[in-house]
Amino acid sequence: MCDDTIDKTVDISTPVMSRNDSFAALNRKLLTEKNLYTLNLISSPGAGKTTLLESMARFFGSRMAVIEGDVQTRRDAERIEKAGCQAWQIETGGACHLDAQAVNHALGHMNLNSEGLELLAIENVGNLICPSGYDLGEDMRIGLLSVPEGDDKILKYPSLFSSINVLLINKMDLIPHLDFNVDRAIEECRSLKPDVQVFTVSARTGEGIEEFCEFIESGMSDQEP
Amino acid sequence: MHELSLAHDMTRIIGKTLGRKIPLDRVNITVGPLSGISPESLKFCFTEIAKLEGFGEPELVIRQTEARIICLDCNTEYEARDFYQGCPQCGSISRNILSGREFTVDSVEINEGDN
Repeated sequence: MCDDTIDKTVDISTPVMSRNDSFAALNRKLLTEKNLYTLNLISSPGAGKTTLLESMARFFGSRMAVIEGDVQTRRDAERIEKAGCQAWQIETGGACHLDAQAVNHALGHMNLNSEGLELLAIENVGNLICPSGYDLGEDMRIGLLSVPEGDDKILKYPSLFSSINVLLINKMDLIPHLDFNVDRAIEECRSLKPDVQVFTVSARTGEGIEEFCEFIESGMSDQEP
Repeated sequence: MHELSLAHDMTRIIGKTLGRKIPLDRVNITVGPLSGISPESLKFCFTEIAKLEGFGEPELVIRQTEARIICLDCNTEYEARDFYQGCPQCGSISRNILSGREFTVDSVEINEGDN
């Protein structure tokens, strides 16, 4: 591509995320073909993503499959399998986020033709920063914030909370013991993402989970061809 | 953010376009203010990765753009350097983001006389 001239500029003009974006497009095409509605679940570590998925597994049963992203161990996939859903564990081995290529690889190992399967939930690596930059091919991006983390976190992590479709405020059963201001969190999230849908839930007690799952179902049926 | 893996992605893109690995004088990139990328951290990571990947020690020149935002309360279109800048007309922070998340490798400069 280069001739031997001196002092030259070579045009590149390539978005750095282009490789991830082409894998995300590939995933989106495959998941649409398989009629799978896909969620990308993002939160800090310990906010309750896996517990939420366990409670969703009780609602959706074998209609849902899960991809688990963790730095290490199959612990989360085992919890999801125990709750009755097909699960595939991605161990990133140090990486702080999932990328679309890793998800594409996982999809190749899963049984996407399983009877009645119509929902795929991807649990990202616990992190409020890095996962926000990586489109995985999802239909719905969910940000999960648990009340012990504090109501000031949304404006501290704007690249995530400006990119989500749904804000889930989790661990609502702890609200009586904390100073978390739900209205403040919602208002600050709407300032970053005006059309964000908000649900307050407790994955542990089941509070609000049915309403949230029904909202996902409505997204699934909107997408049906 | 994950500047180390982004620096890897940059060298992969450069290598693919050039078709070979040669020492570079300068690498020009554009970073939007809402991209979540720390320019200082990226510079640090890119310096190491470029050397390891056989591209020498190029200067990383970062063009930082402004975000284009439209106010949902008064429809004013304005530029912002971060997520927190409200509408200059009405002060509202209710907005739609039109641009500002961009991150591209624009060009590389090679001094063939060096090589």
